[in-house]
Amino acid sequence: MIITLILVSVALLALGFLIRLAKGRALPAQVLENPTEHMRAVDLEAFRNLVDPEEEEFLRTNLPSSEFRRIQRERLRAAVEYVSCAAQNAAVLLRLADAGRRSPDPATAEAAEKLVQNALRLRLYALQAIPKLYLGMVLPGARISPVGIADRYEQMTRLVVLLGCLQYPTRGVSAAL
Amino acid sequence: MSASVMLFYYLWIAPHVLEGIVLYAMVRRGLHRQFPMFFLYISFEIAQCFCLLAVSQYVSYFGQVYIQVYAVGLAVSTSIRFAVIYELFCHFFRRYPAISGAGKLLFRGASLALLLIALGLAVSAPGNTPAAPLNDATYVALRTTTFAADRAVSILQGGLLISLFLFSRYFVLSWRSPAFGIALGMGTFAIAEFATTALRLYVPISNKVFDRSAMGIYHLCVLIWILYVVRPEPEFRFELKSLPTYDLEIWNQELERLLQQ
Repeated sequence: MIITLILVSVALLALGFLIRLAKGRALPAQVLENPTEHMRAVDLEAFRNLVDPEEEEFLRTNLPSSEFRRIQRERLRAAVEYVSCAAQNAAVLLRLADAGRRSPDPATAEAAEKLVQNALRLRLYALQAIPKLYLGMVLPGARISPVGIADRYEQMTRLVVLLGCLQYPTRGVSAAL
Repeated sequence: MSASVMLFYYLWIAPHVLEGIVLYAMVRRGLHRQFPMFFLYISFEIAQCFCLLAVSQYVSYFGQVYIQVYAVGLAVSTSIRFAVIYELFCHFFRRYPAISGAGKLLFRGASLALLLIALGLAVSAPGNTPAAPLNDATYVALRTTTFAADRAVSILQGGLLISLFLFSRYFVLSWRSPAFGIALGMGTFAIAEFATTALRLYVPISNKVFDRSAMGIYHLCVLIWILYVVRPEPEFRFELKSLPTYDLEIWNQELERLLQQ
């Protein structure tokens, strides 16, 4: 009987999830009307510094072991926050670029396509990086350097600019995207 | 004819008549070329329904021949449903090459994990067979096997579709309306089947109740398919009113760098 209850509960949860999906997507259309409200600041230089292996090595050699572990945990916690912000921004840009893919202008459609693929890669990296960063918090001695995220984010912002320029050539960057 | 019998025939025939609308809308919108397996599935379901109806009326009522035809039909229908799920995965990831590798990995990993769960449940579940009108060993064995296989398949199919939904949700991927509708209908059907078979195993309620609920759920799924296949895909437009101030500087730097190239 317990097994039945578990199975039926699982099925009900799954059904509830499907109903929720049918009612609304992961990012509602309102997000696209004002995406800036949903984007979060990402300081790439600070992030690079946090996950820089040389910086980590410097701290490791110059600080007492217990102090290094404490600081490294704090650094990695901040890095997780940065990665989450970058992934959140990528999600918003993904929705915007996905709409741009249907543009009748081939150059805009191509730029939007590249942005979609880059944003997806960034979210994929984030999915891999966040557990690694948490693992690093548990084992502060382990060497973890998800610098690839910063590079990917930089590539993505470049594409955002390009897409914006193509979509709004007369209004400049401030109207872009 | 009693109300119960009328309800039974309505739930049996109406969804398959409505599936004709799905077929018509698919051909009209050219969706049969995008989703050939789903088109095949719907066509097969209609053919199977009328074949079973003919057997039940003219050959053996709901006896052994009916169950044999039903079991063969269910096996074919289940195989096509797997093909539909695979088609949905392919259709989905074709549009997103950056994550197609991760998608394939997800499909294989989820299939394996769900297969193990389904096998585990099949082994641990009691062989509670619905009351059979005939005390025939082959008949009972066939029904037991059919229900066990159906349960395992529901776990696999429902799980695969939920994995696909979760994956798409994380990656904020947009579903084209018909694909979303097909997956939603298939997922609802598989999950409801799973719940029904789990209850059927342990809860002492008449099989008629379970049969009617399963048929009702299938009816609902057909309505979902009609809704998504007939309805035109919404046109999506956006225009940004403002730019995030914190990104303005870096974006301008990137623009300058692009212009210098």
